[in-house]
Amino acid sequence: MTRRFATRVLGPLAAFALASLAGHERATAEQRRLASASAALTDRERKSLESAPAFAIANATWALGSEDAVKTMLRFELDRLPENEGTARARAFVRFGMIDANPDGQAAVFFQACASDSSLCERPRLVAAAEREASVRFVDPGRHLPAYLLSGHPTTP
Amino acid sequence: MSARWARYRGLLGPYLVAAALGYLLGSRSVSAFDAVLGADAPAAASRVGLALREGPQAPVQAQLASGADLRAVAASLPSPRREVFDLVVAVRGLHDGGKSDWTRAEQTCRALAWPRCDRVSLEQLKQQSVP
Repeated sequence: MTRRFATRVLGPLAAFALASLAGHERATAEQRRLASASAALTDRERKSLESAPAFAIANATWALGSEDAVKTMLRFELDRLPENEGTARARAFVRFGMIDANPDGQAAVFFQACASDSSLCERPRLVAAAEREASVRFVDPGRHLPAYLLSGHPTTP
Repeated sequence: MSARWARYRGLLGPYLVAAALGYLLGSRSVSAFDAVLGADAPAAASRVGLALREGPQAPVQAQLASGADLRAVAASLPSPRREVFDLVVAVRGLHDGGKSDWTRAEQTCRALAWPRCDRVSLEQLKQQSVP
C-alpha cells in the first residue's frame, strides 16, 4: 500500500514540483539578467533607458507615420521632454519644421530648435540635422529639405 | 516482456503528465503574478529599453523582453502611441528574441492608417527603430 502510494502519488507530485521549479527558473532567467543589467546603471542612464520606448515610438512614427500622426507625436514629445533635454527637444522641432508647409511656421520652429540646442543656431549644422532627419523618413512630407533651409526665408514683395 | 512494459508505461504516464503540467505552470506563474500584482512601469520600461537599444544584429537573448514588461509598457501608453509601440515590438521581434512578426506588424501599421505598410518599409523601420 505504502509503495503503491509512493509510486502513484508522491512520485508524480515530486515530478510536478521539480518541473514547475525548472519552468519558473527558465521564465525568470531573462528578467533577472535584465534586472541585474539595469541595476548596474546610474540614475541618469536608467532615466535614459526608461525613455527608450518613447524614443522608439517617436522614431517609428517619424519613419512611416502620416503627417497627422507625426504632428500628434511631436506635440506629445514636446510636452513630455523637459527643458533640460535640449538635444531631444531640438530634434523634435527640426522634425516639426520639416513637415510644416508654411515658411513662417518653419522659421518659427527652426528658431525654437536653435533655442533648445545652441549648436543648431549655425545654419550648416541645422541643415545637416535636417538632412539626417530626411534620410530616416520614408514617406512625404518631410523627406526633403524645406524651402526655408534651401533658400532662406522668402522675401516679402 | 510486453506485460512488464505495459506496467511501466502505465506508471510512466502520470509522471510525464505531472512533469509537463508542472513545467507549464511554473513558466506561466511569472506572468500570472505580474498580471495580478501589476509590473512596475518605469522598471519595465527600462528593461524594454535595454532590449530596444541592442539593435537588430545583437544576440537573440539581448533582444528579448519579457511579455509582462511589454504589457506593462503598453498599458502605460495612450492610444495611438500604444499601437505604435506594438508595431515596434512586432518589427523588432522583442517578444521572440529579434524574430520579426511581419504579419502582425503589417496589420498594426494598416490599423494606424499610415501611408506605407509594405514589407520593405517595415524592414527599414526595423533598422531605424533603435532609440
